[in-house]
Amino acid sequence: MIIDVNFVGLIIASIMASAVPLILASCGELITERSGVLNLGVEGMMIIGAISGFALMTVTGSLIIAVFGAMLAGVLISTIFAFLTQTLITNHVATGLALTIFGIGISAMIGKNFVGIPGKEFPVLFESLKDTIPLLSPILFGHSVVFYFAFALPFVTSYFLKKTKIGLIVRAVGDSPESASNQGINVKLVRYACILYGGAMCGLAGAYLSMIYTPQWIENMTGGRGWIALALVVFSTWNPIKILIGAMIFGGLTIIQFHMQAIGVRIPVQFLTALPYIVTIIVLVVISRDSRKIRLSTPSSLGKSFYKDN
Amino acid sequence: MNTNLKISNVTKIYPGCVANDNVSLEFNSGKIYALLGENGAGKSTLVKILSGVIIPDEGKIYLNENNLKLNSPLDAKKNDIGMVFQHFNLFETLSVFENLIIDSDEQREVLREKIDSIMRKYNFSIDLDIPVLNLSAGQKQKVEIIRCLIRSPKVLIMDEPTSVLTEQETSELFLSLKKFSEEGILIIYITHKLKEVIELCDEVAVMRRGKLVSVSEIKNENIESLANKMVGQNLKTIKKKKEKNSSDKLINITNLNFISEDPFETNLSDINFSVNRGECLGIAGISGNGQSELFQVLSGEIISDKNSIEFNKNYIGDLNPQERREYLMAFSPEDRLEQAAIPQMAIFENVALNNYKSSNFFNNGLINENKIKEHSKKIISDFNVNTDNIELKSQFLSGGNLQKLIIGRELITSPDLLICFNPTWGLDVGAINYIHETLIKINEQNKSIILISTDTDELLKLSDKISVIHKGKLSKIMDADEVTSEKLGILMGGGN
Repeated sequence: MIIDVNFVGLIIASIMASAVPLILASCGELITERSGVLNLGVEGMMIIGAISGFALMTVTGSLIIAVFGAMLAGVLISTIFAFLTQTLITNHVATGLALTIFGIGISAMIGKNFVGIPGKEFPVLFESLKDTIPLLSPILFGHSVVFYFAFALPFVTSYFLKKTKIGLIVRAVGDSPESASNQGINVKLVRYACILYGGAMCGLAGAYLSMIYTPQWIENMTGGRGWIALALVVFSTWNPIKILIGAMIFGGLTIIQFHMQAIGVRIPVQFLTALPYIVTIIVLVVISRDSRKIRLSTPSSLGKSFYKDN
Repeated sequence: MNTNLKISNVTKIYPGCVANDNVSLEFNSGKIYALLGENGAGKSTLVKILSGVIIPDEGKIYLNENNLKLNSPLDAKKNDIGMVFQHFNLFETLSVFENLIIDSDEQREVLREKIDSIMRKYNFSIDLDIPVLNLSAGQKQKVEIIRCLIRSPKVLIMDEPTSVLTEQETSELFLSLKKFSEEGILIIYITHKLKEVIELCDEVAVMRRGKLVSVSEIKNENIESLANKMVGQNLKTIKKKKEKNSSDKLINITNLNFISEDPFETNLSDINFSVNRGECLGIAGISGNGQSELFQVLSGEIISDKNSIEFNKNYIGDLNPQERREYLMAFSPEDRLEQAAIPQMAIFENVALNNYKSSNFFNNGLINENKIKEHSKKIISDFNVNTDNIELKSQFLSGGNLQKLIIGRELITSPDLLICFNPTWGLDVGAINYIHETLIKINEQNKSIILISTDTDELLKLSDKISVIHKGKLSKIMDADEVTSEKLGILMGGGN
């Protein structure tokens, strides 16, 4: 049997494409959590991003407006979360869950009029180079700008947290908001910004799904990816590079199990469908089991409300 | 250049409490000032106002005749006021260097240079690239001090800096502070330890219940006069009568080991000691050397080998705290609000938690509220807890009153052995005196105490025998009469 290298390249590219929304949402949520805020509304923000992007694309016809509109929608819905948890000091967990339920509901309502409408083609970059190098070309070239952005994001996030002043402040706030506040850092402002950034990334992840990955609107089309993104953040121990690894494993197994089902491998379908979830978590737990490192990268104040009593 | 800091008519009122009542004070550089007072006297509030953490209701702050608007810690920093807080304001998971540079806008390389030169000048040696959680308390404090020094402050405020330090670390700190003072930094030193005031400071301001009660020069004061000013009444000095104790062994620990799975806990290795009836064994050490683990092993929060603890001729190493209580052991943990009492529950409910067999607090699974309340009232009156409302949530009791309640709850069953861990931590002189008297009384009734404490003065005052714990190992057990605080300090630091 001869394996076509370009076919392998295409499979890898499709794995990467399926990892994109996970990477975007996880890296956004990672920043939010590093500042000590636990936003369980990832799924809700993604689905809002998905419907906003698709609706804006259909209505305005502009892809740029649609992509940025989806991010803005993510920002707006996360503003609700930020206002509730930071200004009104509500519980992070309950508020986040409510946000997801709200997002799924409102997206279904808005989306009613968009079911069945075909999407637009999203332009890809470097298409002319697609046949130049065997194996690598399909992986490297011919993808949307969001795709390239997503694969750069973990490295940028890592650099931002480790090397920049603002990254340091975000980590400091997540470690001890009390100390940060006594150092003159505006804890609420930092946390607001991190929540809103997380919202923007989740909105973008949603827009990728409805505009690029499967260009159409289907109710509940995020299909639990938001929860996977949340799990990736935790099991990667708040490390963006490990998020990338986790997202690739998850995306890879999802694609491969589809192929296995198609070929008719004699393994129960339920087990195959569950496989990506199980393996991703096992791998991430194994690569992050150094308890010292976990302690050092876990935001100590995660999920705890902070208020200054003057 | 001279620095002059003036606090003028500062008032801060909290619901139900006047934290600062029209306080006016003046400080000049070249001197070290003590701000002395019991807990709740308002000294922490006052310095938090100076550092911009708390905004006063009324009053003004002047630095060199300029009226300062201190609305945030940033304002204080901009005006060259640096503060080292009692509870460190450090980011445990960030590196030392990251902790130091977080509030500065200068280049990293410039800052590293600056930090290195500060460390050289004052003989500090700290690895800048390890996370803060790996540092000892003394090193953490140095990090805080360096953080202030980076900004070349005019005023340096130290809030109860020695509560976590060893004897040696304390004298190192005092040397540094004197050096800072000579260099023209105005130093305000907050404490309730009288000895330190006499040793270090030039002038002392005493606060009581939010009011400034006196300002005087140290040379006109002594420990007794300051104590009386601080408490507002004449304190009796208590002293333990050292008697020949029985040689009747009450508890015997043999080859006790504890290996923790948590890398941030201390392992205990090969602990051996025994305590006789009527005796108080003091265990000294710098916090974080295994005291908390030792307390938990002794109290049964951590179960150990059955034969490693022999109490009253029973082997009880595998029993939980409740079962150990039945053998007449009692416990007073370090963290009053987290371990000893449940803050959101009322006083009488907290009393009911110590549900010993003969208590009859519960009948057939139902709470016998009358019985518990009656019992709680007895504790409150017997142990001088300053409240008559047993329905009050325990979080609203002051540290001293809560400690009295806890000790009372434990002692009312007249146990044979009381194990306490830092029983007077953070308490004021009046409460400390009361607790010390109570502990001495226990020994006089031929009951025993294991006192794990980081306060060497307290240990020397109360113990018959003393041992030092260092990195989870116990030193040999010494007679308290033969030990000096210097010797303890050396052992606490790991020396011989």
